[in-house]
Amino acid sequence: MKLYAYCLAEDLDTLDHSQPGIAGAPVRLLKIDNLAVLISDTTIDAVPVTKENALAHAAVVRSILDQTTPLPFRFGTLVTERQLGSYVSARKPALKKKLAHVRGCVEMSVKIIWDAPDGIRTTNAELSGTGTDFLTAKRREILGDEQRAKQATEISDWLRERVSGLTRDEQAILRPSERLLLSAAHLVERANIERYRTQLVEARQNRPELHFLISGPWPPYSFANIELEFSSQFGVS
Amino acid sequence: MALSPENPLSAEPEIETSHAEEFVEQLRCVADTLPSRINIDAQSVEQGLAKLVLTLIEFIRRLLEKQAVRRMEGGDLSPEQIEELGLALMRLEAKLQELKSQFGLEDEDLNLDLGPIGRLI
Repeated sequence: MKLYAYCLAEDLDTLDHSQPGIAGAPVRLLKIDNLAVLISDTTIDAVPVTKENALAHAAVVRSILDQTTPLPFRFGTLVTERQLGSYVSARKPALKKKLAHVRGCVEMSVKIIWDAPDGIRTTNAELSGTGTDFLTAKRREILGDEQRAKQATEISDWLRERVSGLTRDEQAILRPSERLLLSAAHLVERANIERYRTQLVEARQNRPELHFLISGPWPPYSFANIELEFSSQFGVS
Repeated sequence: MALSPENPLSAEPEIETSHAEEFVEQLRCVADTLPSRINIDAQSVEQGLAKLVLTLIEFIRRLLEKQAVRRMEGGDLSPEQIEELGLALMRLEAKLQELKSQFGLEDEDLNLDLGPIGRLI
């Protein structure tokens, strides 16, 4: 018998809901060293990556977000009870630190689409001209890319400044060469969510040329346990 | 239940945008780049390996180009050296395009997603 692990949390003694888990399996709470792990018993060897399973995983993690801020496990985490116990015991200090980091917070997401300035690309004609023409064309291309990267960084800095003081942490992916320029995740204290939203409404009005998608609150997926996952995968603690 | 300062622990997520279709399209593009499942067969392994190797070559090629342009801007190359360097890089790019076409790869295929760090190229 294996366990499907959804998330890990503190200050949680009982589940006051009956949110079904992967494939409709009942979800129960396992206490290990004063930490709570939400799990389902399962006999499968691998969890199919389907929309239904992904939504079920997310729904279970979110079901306790009203009570506490959990650390979500990666989708598809299957372990034995012994492995899970060993994992939690061996990494308890790091888990406690991570839980303290996200305590009282939720994740808010901001995505920005822009009309990226067209990149100058070397043409086929320049690919068959002289070597000097080729390098001159490349110089134009590189300068264009640098200018675009600079504009992208300015937008990222501008957004960070708008919400500074309201976020505890940030994870941002900036892709100057693509229309979906910025995907940012902000760790926001629950009491600050309304102010955070108000700040973003004002920010959007100031930059009509940018298109925003703001979502949340979500469990802190972007701030969960990347290094813990790596430690687990590579056996390095 | 909506979030409010009076009820800060409630957590129903909301999604807010005036450009929903545009975001759906962009996010679909991102999703489309992820394989729905991994097919292990001779053809896909060969193409996957070619993609990885050509991505690394493309990365190094771009570094070489930038270095060449910097040296050209710095004025420490003679016109003959600029011509020679430019020709070598031009042929390298042409050769890479030929290899991409042989393996059925497009420009946007030659990249690696490094997660939180972003993309390689």
